[in-house]
Amino acid sequence: MTPILELRQATKKYAGVPAIEDVDFSLNPGEIHALVGENGAGKSTLTKVMAGVVALTSGQMLIDGEEVSPRTPLEARNLGVAMVFQENSLVPTMTVAQNLFLGHEKYFNRLRGVYIAAQQFLQTLNFDVSPTATVSQLGAAKKQMVEIARAVLHDAKVIIFDEPTATLTPEEKKYFFDLVLNLKKRGVSIIFISHALEEALLLSDRISVLRDGKNVVTDDTRNFDRDRIVKAMVGRDLSQTVYGQRKTNARARGERLLSVQNLRMGSMVKNNSFSVFAGQITGVFGLVGSGRTETFKVVSGVIKRDLFHGGEILLRGQNARFRVPAPAVRAGVAYITEDRKVEGFFETMSIARNIYMGFLSKWAARRPLVSRSESAEIGERWIKALNVRAISKDVKVVELSGGNQQKVVIAKSLVQDPDLIIFDEPTRGVDVGAIAEIHALLNRLADEGKAVVMISSYLPEVLALSDRILVSRQGKVVEEFSALEASEEKIMYAAIH
Amino acid sequence: MMGAWAAFADKLLGRGDSAVTVPPFDGALKPNQLLEEAEAFAEAPDAADLASDGSDLYVAQGSRVLRYRNGEASEIAAFDCPVTAICALSGGDLAVALDGKRVRIVGTAREWAGFNAVNAISPGANGALLVTDGSLGHDCGKWAHDLMTLGATGRLIEIPGDDGQPRELAGGRAFAFGACQTSAGDVWFCESWRHRIVRAAGAPVLEALPCYPSRIVAASGGGFWLTAFVARTQLVEFVLREKAYRERMIAEIDPRYWIAPKLRSGATFLEPMQGAHIKTMGVLKPWAPPVSYGLVIRLGADGQPLYSLHSRAGGRHHGVTAAVELGGWLYVLSQGAGRILRLPLAKLDSELRS
Repeated sequence: MTPILELRQATKKYAGVPAIEDVDFSLNPGEIHALVGENGAGKSTLTKVMAGVVALTSGQMLIDGEEVSPRTPLEARNLGVAMVFQENSLVPTMTVAQNLFLGHEKYFNRLRGVYIAAQQFLQTLNFDVSPTATVSQLGAAKKQMVEIARAVLHDAKVIIFDEPTATLTPEEKKYFFDLVLNLKKRGVSIIFISHALEEALLLSDRISVLRDGKNVVTDDTRNFDRDRIVKAMVGRDLSQTVYGQRKTNARARGERLLSVQNLRMGSMVKNNSFSVFAGQITGVFGLVGSGRTETFKVVSGVIKRDLFHGGEILLRGQNARFRVPAPAVRAGVAYITEDRKVEGFFETMSIARNIYMGFLSKWAARRPLVSRSESAEIGERWIKALNVRAISKDVKVVELSGGNQQKVVIAKSLVQDPDLIIFDEPTRGVDVGAIAEIHALLNRLADEGKAVVMISSYLPEVLALSDRILVSRQGKVVEEFSALEASEEKIMYAAIH
Repeated sequence: MMGAWAAFADKLLGRGDSAVTVPPFDGALKPNQLLEEAEAFAEAPDAADLASDGSDLYVAQGSRVLRYRNGEASEIAAFDCPVTAICALSGGDLAVALDGKRVRIVGTAREWAGFNAVNAISPGANGALLVTDGSLGHDCGKWAHDLMTLGATGRLIEIPGDDGQPRELAGGRAFAFGACQTSAGDVWFCESWRHRIVRAAGAPVLEALPCYPSRIVAASGGGFWLTAFVARTQLVEFVLREKAYRERMIAEIDPRYWIAPKLRSGATFLEPMQGAHIKTMGVLKPWAPPVSYGLVIRLGADGQPLYSLHSRAGGRHHGVTAAVELGGWLYVLSQGAGRILRLPLAKLDSELRS
C-alpha cells in the first residue's frame, strides 16, 4: 500500500540545531497514527513540516508517492493536509462561522447563508457551538471544537491534530473520538499528537514515538502498552509513577486557610461555598463551564466577584476582597494559570527575569531598586530547585518546551512563598517526565504545610494526588469526596448529574 | 465618619457584616447520616440535658431527674419547675438548674439564685461550677426570641467550690450556651449567636461555625464533643439583618411559624417555606436548607473539628443539645425528636477520624 503521506530522512534545523533529524515517517490511507513524545521531542516540528508551516532542511516529503514541498499552510491544504494547531489559530474578532469559512469565501457572501451552513455542519459533528458567537467569547474547549470543525470542513485527506483533547472535557472527548473514527471511515488519515497515552492506545492504529528529534520506534498499537510507550519516550522506566495508584494515605487536615461562602460571579459562579485546608492537596474537578477556574480566579483577585451580594472569602478567618492579584499575592495566595502562554509568563523575557517579576510582585515594596544580581541569583536558585532544563537562566521562556515553561510559571509563583497555591491544570500540555516532577512538587508543597489546590480535568491525576476532592458543577461545589471514598465513577456522576 | 460610610457601603452592597453568607459544611463537617441512623436508646420527651458520673446516665426530663442504670430509668429527684441543665460532680453529687433561675446541688441546701436562663452547668477547677446563663432578657424556652432580638446579654459564671459568691467570667455574650474546663486550665464556652467557641479570657477558639453551638463536654482520649442544635441558613441570616421585618414578625406571628431556627420541623404545613425546600417524588431534596438540624462535632484538644455526626434536612434527630460518653458509647440528646440516641465510640473514632 502506498502511504498517503511519507517523510524520508526528514531533518529540520533551527540555527544549526536539529529539531528533528533523519526521521522516517509514513501514514497509510484511513489510518490513525499517534505521535507521542516528551515536550521538545520534535512532534510539533514534524507535523509543522507536513502542514507547510516550516520547510525541511533536508529530506523528502511525499504525498501519494509524489514528492512535494509545501511552503505555506495553504499549499499543504491544497495538497489535502490540514492541521489543527495546539495554539489557537482562529481570528478572535470574527464569528465561528466566519472562521470556519475563512480562506474559502466566495466572491459574494451572504452572511445568513454562511451561518446556516456553519450551523448545519457543526450539528453534523455534534459540536455545541453557536456559529454566530464571536471566537473571543468562547472558552478553550469550544475554540478547539471550531479548529477541528474547520479542518474537517475543508475535506482534508490528512488531518493533523496537535493535542486535540487537552482542553476538552471527558464528554467532549467522547464526541471527539467518535468524530475521529467517523473521519477514518470516510478514508481520512489522521495524525494524532497527544500526551494522554491512554488516548493514543485507545484510538490509533499505529504509534510513533519521538525522542530528541528522532523516531525511536514505530509499531502497531496492539504491540504497545503504556509502559513501553513511556519507556520509549523518556528513555527510562517511569512505570506507574505518573497517575499511578489511587491515593489511600491522605494527609490530615490542617488549619482552614480559605473559606469561600456563597460566592457569586456573573453566570459562572453561583452561590459557591467550600473550604481549603492547609497541609493538603485539594483536587477540584468539574466539566468546562462548571465555574471552577472562575471561582479561584475570584479568590486570587484575577477577576472580581459580583458587586452586590457577591459573597465572602475568608483567608485565615479574615475577610479578603482582592480586586487585583497584587494584594492577593501579598496575602499569600498564588494562582498558577491554566493558560500559561497568555497569562503565565513574558515570553520574550528570560527565565530569570520572569521569576524575578514574580518575586517583585510580592516584595517590591521593600526594594526601591531592581537588582540584576538578585534577579540572577533567584533565577538560578529556582531553575535548580524545579529542575528547569535550559542552557542558562538567560534563555527566553518562549524557547523552552511546554513542561519547562510550566516550571517557570510555577517558580514565578513559588518565589512569592505563598500559603495557598492554586494550580489550574498544572500538567496540561506537559510531557510525562515533567508531569512526574510537577506532581512531586505538589506533594512536597502539601507536606510542607501549604494549602494546595489542584484544578484538573484529568481524573487519574485528581485521584492520584488529591487528599480531598471537590466536584464543581454549574457554578458551585456540589460534592466533596475524601481520597478513600473517591472513584472516577462517583466523581463523574457528581460532575454531570 | 469613614466607619459610617463603610458600614453604609457594606449594607448597600451586602458585604462585611451585611453579607448574608453561611460557611459550608465541608472538611470535618461534611454531612453524613450517622446521627439520623443512630440507635435510639430511650424516648425522652421534654428532656433538656444529659450528664454522666462514669457509671450511670442522668437525664433532666421535664421537672424530674432520671437515672438510667442498665437501660432502666428511675426517678432520683423531682422539682416544681423544669430542670434546664444538669451536671454530675466528682463527689457523686448532681447540680441542676431549676427553671433557669436557680442552681442547686441535689439533696443539699446549697443553692444559688440570681440567674435568668441557665442552660448548662459543667464542673470547673477546684470543685467550682461553670454556669452559662444564656440571656438576661429571655427565659430558657424563649431562646428563639433572644436570637431574633439579637440578644447579647448572656453570661459565663463561676460558682466557687467553697460556696463563695458566683463570679461573672464573661458577660454581654450573644447567648452563652455550654462551657468546659480544659486540661490546660482554660475555660471555653459557646457563644451560640456568634457561632463560635471562645475562651473566658476572650480569645476565640473556633469561629465561623455553620451552626449554632450548644453544649461542650470533654471527650475521652482528649478533645471535646460539641453539640449544635441547629444549622445556619442564608434565609435566617437574611432575616437577622432585617430589623423591621423581625420586629413585625415577632409582634404579629406565632413563634412556631417564625422564620427562625427550630429544634424540630416538618410537623405542620404552616411552617414557613424555606428557599429550595422542595420535595420531589416525596423525597426532600438533600440541599434544602434546614429549618432544624442535628449535629455533633468531635473537636481535637486544640478545638479544631475532627469529624462530625449529622441528621440532615428531612431527618428526625434534630435539635441536639447534649452529648456525654459512657461505657464506650456516646449518648446524644435530640430534643427535637425527644429521644436519647447512642453510638459506639470506638467505631466512630476508627471510621471517621482522618
